[in-house]
Amino acid sequence: MSPQPEQTLWVERLDVTVGAHRRAAVRDVSFTVGRGEAVGLVGESGSGKTLTCRSVLGLLPPGVEIAGGRVRLGSGADEVDLTTARRRTWDKVRGVRLGAVFQDPASYLNPSLTVGHQLAEVLRTQRGLARGPAHARSVELFTEVGLRDPDRVFHQYPHELSGGMLQRVLIALAVSLEPELLIADEATTALDVVVQAEILQLLSRLRRTHDLSLLLVTHDLAVVADTCDRVLVMYGGEIVESGPTEQVLRDPRHPYTRALLAVASIGDWSRRTLEVIPGSPPEAGEELPGCRFAPRCRDAVADCTAEPVWLTTWPDENRSARCLRAEDLESVGGPS
Amino acid sequence: MSTLRRIWTVPSARISIIILLGVAVLVVAGSALAPHDPLEQDPTRMLQGPGSAHWLGTDYLGRDVLSRLMAGTRVSVAGALEAVVVAAALGILPGLASAWSGRTFEWASLRVTDTLMVLPFTVFAIAVVGTLGNGLHQSMVAVGILMSPLFFRVTRAVTLGLRQTQYVEAAELMGASQWWVLRKHIWAKVLPTIAVTTAQAIGSALLLMASLTFLGLGVTPPAPTWGGMLASDLGYLTQQPWAPLFPGLLIMLTVGSLNLIADAIRDQTPDGVRRGWLGRQGTLAVAASSGLTGGGAALAAAPAPQDDVEPELSEEEDARVPAA
Amino acid sequence: MTTAPLLSVTDLTVTYAPPRRSGSLGTGAALAHVDLDVLPGEILGVVGETGSGKTTLARATVGLVRPAGGRIDFEGADLGALKGRELRTFLRSGQVQLAFQDPLRALDPDLTVGELVGEPLAVAGVPRAERNQRVSESLGLVGLDADSFRDRYPRQLSGGQRQRVSLARAIVTRPRLLFCDEPVSALDVSNRNLVLRLLDRLRHDLGLAVVIIAHDLSSLAGVADRVAVFYRGRLVEQGPIGEVLQKPSHPYTALLTASAPSVQQENRLRPDQVRTPQADASWDATACVFASLCRFAHEACTQQPALRPVPDQPYRTAACHVADEWRRDLNPTHQKGTR
Repeated sequence: MSPQPEQTLWVERLDVTVGAHRRAAVRDVSFTVGRGEAVGLVGESGSGKTLTCRSVLGLLPPGVEIAGGRVRLGSGADEVDLTTARRRTWDKVRGVRLGAVFQDPASYLNPSLTVGHQLAEVLRTQRGLARGPAHARSVELFTEVGLRDPDRVFHQYPHELSGGMLQRVLIALAVSLEPELLIADEATTALDVVVQAEILQLLSRLRRTHDLSLLLVTHDLAVVADTCDRVLVMYGGEIVESGPTEQVLRDPRHPYTRALLAVASIGDWSRRTLEVIPGSPPEAGEELPGCRFAPRCRDAVADCTAEPVWLTTWPDENRSARCLRAEDLESVGGPS
Repeated sequence: MSTLRRIWTVPSARISIIILLGVAVLVVAGSALAPHDPLEQDPTRMLQGPGSAHWLGTDYLGRDVLSRLMAGTRVSVAGALEAVVVAAALGILPGLASAWSGRTFEWASLRVTDTLMVLPFTVFAIAVVGTLGNGLHQSMVAVGILMSPLFFRVTRAVTLGLRQTQYVEAAELMGASQWWVLRKHIWAKVLPTIAVTTAQAIGSALLLMASLTFLGLGVTPPAPTWGGMLASDLGYLTQQPWAPLFPGLLIMLTVGSLNLIADAIRDQTPDGVRRGWLGRQGTLAVAASSGLTGGGAALAAAPAPQDDVEPELSEEEDARVPAA
Repeated sequence: MTTAPLLSVTDLTVTYAPPRRSGSLGTGAALAHVDLDVLPGEILGVVGETGSGKTTLARATVGLVRPAGGRIDFEGADLGALKGRELRTFLRSGQVQLAFQDPLRALDPDLTVGELVGEPLAVAGVPRAERNQRVSESLGLVGLDADSFRDRYPRQLSGGQRQRVSLARAIVTRPRLLFCDEPVSALDVSNRNLVLRLLDRLRHDLGLAVVIIAHDLSSLAGVADRVAVFYRGRLVEQGPIGEVLQKPSHPYTALLTASAPSVQQENRLRPDQVRTPQADASWDATACVFASLCRFAHEACTQQPALRPVPDQPYRTAACHVADEWRRDLNPTHQKGTR
């Protein structure tokens, strides 16, 4: 995948290792997020999606490090290499050009300060706003993220707000400095379904109004279906399929994607079958010959485990799949 | 206990245990092991420095300092232990009960504890001694009474926390009696905290005992005690500036060892282990932090030990708050 | 064709604070005037957001919370009226069980799997030999090998395995009715279905009725027979799951199905076709619980509607003045997703 102009994020052949033995938990991951584009990164736990996301943010825990590849933010004159960035660069990037929201909003807020204070603080320290303008801008941001009665919310403490409201506050914090890219790491997983829909709608709206790029990391394929232009499916530390959401979901080319579709919530409420994928995913960093999904794949053949499988690409469709048999396996189609 | 075995691996705790074993030997056989009779005065050899006959020198009456220190260990340590036993007896059971029984007992026990905590220690000790006579037991009981709030509050806090856990609720759901819950689920979890508190309390009691004997309360001379020796040494600082070092060092080593052991026990308790192992979430300022919060199973698996676990949603401990 | 219900909840009201005037629910998630039946051997899904009272229903039935009004009939006895020794006897019989939401917190970390699963029997005084045998049986039923798991501690298990242990503990007393509080919310997609399949198999093998409490519909699709939808303490709709979710009678159920992210894109309702963008605070406490968010609320909605059978569909009930009729007033803006 060659770099396009006007892209916000470019991850190229990222390798992340874990532990003293340097086991590879993320292998050869490459993708881009274009300007104003929403990309979904889907995978179960152990798939490496969280580590990929944290690599982009530079928030890897001790013992985990980037062993290869590059991560670049922005394009042209504004481009910055995040893999080699030091503290000074990160201070200028994190929160300013790169925003993030995570799963449990309450643990990212100081419980002894009002939420308004915390947002205003960011505006004052980063943008040099005086107290009055910072307060006004905070209330504006709260309105923009859909908080009802933003003046009142400004003076409330985190424990007084519901999960959905807290997540909106965090989104406000994340977009307050007009970043180029917003990363949402399982941002809606802990929320009730109605609130989840509202937050996803909010993220879509922010995308349009702020020309914001969105990287949505989730385990739920259905969330991606609703919100993202393109989807990347990760398994065992690798990207196994990528492409425009609609097409991937309608016509998956990797057996794992197909399996996920069969298992995921598909909106067909009267079905009575509960599909499961037999076996379990490989351990992070486990060395396997060939395709990492082969042990669980009902269409696997001997060649699949003979040697590592490269990505098969269809450049005109902007799709790829890491499967030897992608073309000769008949697609079983999308959800019935 | 398996806890002791585990503490042995911690270097600081290991040294502490060895030191305390030495102190225990002195408690049991201090007087017998002492090279000289601790009470024997020798007017020809007063205030001598360390030498071949008297390893740590002699005090203002010509008595061997080393022997006095060794002999004094029993009184000092035993006194501290006595105080702690009294404190534990008065604190633990009411602590458990206050978290369990009705409001009246809870209220009453809390007020009693508050009162005890408010009393100024030295004044109280003097009062007790004044009333009951100047003896070791009286002053130790006084110390014990005043230290009991420590055990009370610690036991109460832990029990209150445990009572609200889901597994206690699950046990109640099975129709378990209060007694069953206490025995099966609560008691074993309170013990580590009590152990930690006890270790710290012995240290404090030793210091208190030293203060008391320093003031002349509790034990009458010529019986040697660490605190008493400190006191008498102060009177002869010009001739023997190094003298307070010896009892001081002994007190410091013993109390320090106890505190180190308390730390080690605390770090070995389930909460301490869990806290380190799972890397629980803290507060992450969005702007800049090198730490990591809400770590996934993959991340926790990186430094953690055995993990042949099935894949699971990484943030399961951050699951949503259940409906009330 | 009608079988006697196993559990019959009538006009159940639970408050968490003393009611200040009739109709007030007090603080916390509570329940108001709930009527619901559970038939033997069925899987009933209870769905609602946080604060809908769905867990309260389970807690009231198993005796963890005393109802303020109404009856909970189970095999002839009113569970809501039990107290003291009677309550304890009932609890020890283990006829109705609750598997808690978070097995990590609901299992004592210092006890082994064998001790955990056997505890309900130990409390009931079952002798050790029988206890061990029933524990092995239970573990086998949930798909865990008794010999290798008996001596493990909860922290040595994965999330899915812990969930199974929690279920094993719940079925060891051979209950007739099992409440599962969000059994799969914390699990990955593929593990989810494994546990749901397990529940399905358990109710066939043991002849027990299962109530699955969930906040999202995907936990129920494929396994539940009927579904009951709760909103802010009230039961707003119930019926066979396929029908209720394909064509909801109550606007709130429609909001739930519209909000659930789905891979299917055609012919979906959008949430804002059913709800107002902001809650309208002018509706007071005696009005329909959903009125403040409902696009179709009108004057009749100042009175909380009763749970009535849906026209033409006798197995379904809904608490709405315009059940099904609100579809006529749908704003037919485009149906596609929000992208």
